[in-house]
Amino acid sequence: MWCNSHGLIIIPRSDLRFPLFPTHPPSISPYPHIYFPKYPSNHQILRTKFTSLKPKSNLNDVVSYTDPNNTTFYELLGIPETGSLLEIKQAYKQLARKYHPDVSPPDRVEEYTERFIRVQEAYETLSDPRMRAMYDRDMAKGIHLAFIARRRYQNDESMVEKGEWKNRWQSQLSELKRKSMHKDNGMSWGARMRRQRNKASS
Amino acid sequence: MAEQAYTVASDSETTGEEKTSPAFPEIAIGIDIGTSQCSVAVWNGSQVELLRNTRNQKLMKSYVTFKDEVPAGGVSDELAHEYDMLSGAAIFNMKRLIGRVDTDPVVHASKSLPFLVQTLDIGVRPFIAALVNSMWRSTTPEEVLAIFLVELRAMAEVKLKHPVRNVVLTIPVSFSRFQLMLIERACAMAGLHVLRLMPEPTAVALLYAQQQQQSAHENMGSGSEKIALIFNMGAGYCDVAITATSGGVSQIKALAGSTVGGEDLLQNLMHQLLPNMDDLFSSHGIEEIKSMGLLRVATQDAIHKLSSDMSVPIDVDLGNGTKISKVLGRVEFEEVNKEVFEKCEALIKRCLHAAKLEAEDVHDVIVVGGCSYIPKVRNILTSICKREELYSGMNPLEAAVRGAALEGAVASGISDPFGNLDLLTIQATPLSIGIQADGSNFIPIIRQNTTTPARKEQIFTTVHDNQAEALILVYEGDEKTGEENHLLGFFKIRGIPPLPKGVPEINVSMDIDACNVLRVFAGVMMPGAQNLPTPFMEVRMPTVDDGHGWSAQALHKTYGSTLGLVTVQKKTQH
Repeated sequence: MWCNSHGLIIIPRSDLRFPLFPTHPPSISPYPHIYFPKYPSNHQILRTKFTSLKPKSNLNDVVSYTDPNNTTFYELLGIPETGSLLEIKQAYKQLARKYHPDVSPPDRVEEYTERFIRVQEAYETLSDPRMRAMYDRDMAKGIHLAFIARRRYQNDESMVEKGEWKNRWQSQLSELKRKSMHKDNGMSWGARMRRQRNKASS
Repeated sequence: MAEQAYTVASDSETTGEEKTSPAFPEIAIGIDIGTSQCSVAVWNGSQVELLRNTRNQKLMKSYVTFKDEVPAGGVSDELAHEYDMLSGAAIFNMKRLIGRVDTDPVVHASKSLPFLVQTLDIGVRPFIAALVNSMWRSTTPEEVLAIFLVELRAMAEVKLKHPVRNVVLTIPVSFSRFQLMLIERACAMAGLHVLRLMPEPTAVALLYAQQQQQSAHENMGSGSEKIALIFNMGAGYCDVAITATSGGVSQIKALAGSTVGGEDLLQNLMHQLLPNMDDLFSSHGIEEIKSMGLLRVATQDAIHKLSSDMSVPIDVDLGNGTKISKVLGRVEFEEVNKEVFEKCEALIKRCLHAAKLEAEDVHDVIVVGGCSYIPKVRNILTSICKREELYSGMNPLEAAVRGAALEGAVASGISDPFGNLDLLTIQATPLSIGIQADGSNFIPIIRQNTTTPARKEQIFTTVHDNQAEALILVYEGDEKTGEENHLLGFFKIRGIPPLPKGVPEINVSMDIDACNVLRVFAGVMMPGAQNLPTPFMEVRMPTVDDGHGWSAQALHKTYGSTLGLVTVQKKTQH
């Protein structure tokens, strides 16, 4: 997870789903004289080893559901609401093996990163007895949506619930982030050209 | 998925790759550049193997000597005697100097090294020079490191008989992102591509995870979760990590690191033996350098002997009529270095606390690094962790590089039919990252020991009525005020609508992605409005290129608190 991806140019895209945000200008590396090559080839190698490690239970595939906002942390981890700490830990490690970006399919890194962060959030909440109790209480009241929960447990409890505009803004922001990360993970035309140049000159 | 493998083999991008057979992907090598020693290891298809240099050494001294205009590093190690390394012509301890400013105590402590470290104490790069033909020739830690890495790379290519590009490097826990950037730059200068920068104890944790998985296989055990505390103390740094391991997954629970190391033990003892050492050696004359070298070697030998003996005689003639002759006891050595050992204790306790664990929860206590042979260090570990025995399953000097080689193989997508590479490290942030707000306070947004990849956000508001702009100063560290931490970069948010103070909402989010790249997003949010008043800012950090706090000071001088921010939570409490 500590890899380098300096020196990649972000190509302005015209297909932004959120015209609210202007397209990005190319991000200029602060060190144009130093070239940091990125080799995607190694990441594209088939990772057969992990196929055997996939969580066995189909329950875990709940995570490949459609709407993350309607999933409880228990559903996210694929465990019953009565699940023990041991079960939570095991489910977390299994899902980490599946969704951690280090082991995810190279073309789905950003999607899996999103999932990993959600799984991590669920694990952190449910593995802490105090936070789990709070979460369970809210779930009983019907406010169990993962994203609302996150805000409640991570920040001050007194923090006021935000309205619909906030949710909209949230989704725009995360989309923006997703896009910008996606661009860095793929190899842009500019990066490819520089790599070729670099190779030719070395 | 099988189709993908063919895609790679026929990928036009790889056809340019010279001699390597496309069927066998390059396996990234693991490099452990220690402050004093360095080693290289690689997954050889069935296990991790340490590479040896032409002198058949697995551990090579980390230095570069500029003696004959052409620099030569410790990989080939042609030195006749250790004194040659201390003649002033060789630069070493570069890992302690890289990315540090001349007000840093670590830089000041380096002034008694045989080569030249000059400080002006204003917060800029120190001046570093090697003695070449009776002249001080300037260089930088990055340059020295790059030269050293070129030698390492050449050695590895000879041994492996193919070009080497990808590396996994181990780094101290306490390194800032600015220092990581310099390490990556040194690698780039040496033609190496960094796949991962692993905090040293997390590399050890990965080796431990593999060992646990193997023993679980052999015993047909359940492979239940095991907690290990890893203490790694080398010449330059002391690091602690706590890992929860099961089924080959190493989950880093907490990290703690500091700049205490064997070099401090050595220097403290040198000062004890020769109290006016700094005055005697300050001018760095040729004779003085020679005396300094003699004292250093004698002190180092004494420390090594004290690991097995209770006392050691020291007899050294430094020339110029100065002779040191005494018997040094282990008790005196421990007393002289009391503060260093106290710092080690504090670090272990802090790490346990951060992991929310008691000493009894820890299954294995692993001590690695050059200082792991010191009886006092082992005593600290056994007493804090309340046990008789320490983990004995790994070589203390090879554990980190072996872990790095495992990560190199895993990150290169290599699989092992026996499952020895079914490994995963879930990393955590070694330092908090946040911005300056509430006056000069540091407000963490991604806290220390947060699992990565991560995404966190915080709402801030203005401090003045009709404040139109806000300055975002991004820092990394765990000190109370901004300026005590490392400045990573800064930028301005503009176009805040004219509103009374405390009303506008300014969102600052931070994102560490799968590649450990840090991005900061910031902008104004308008409750009720359909559109954002101004576009958000996305800034990739670090953006500062100097590592000193000058820019922050200049910003403060120019703007004071006119562009300040306060946290929203604090505001509502009042």
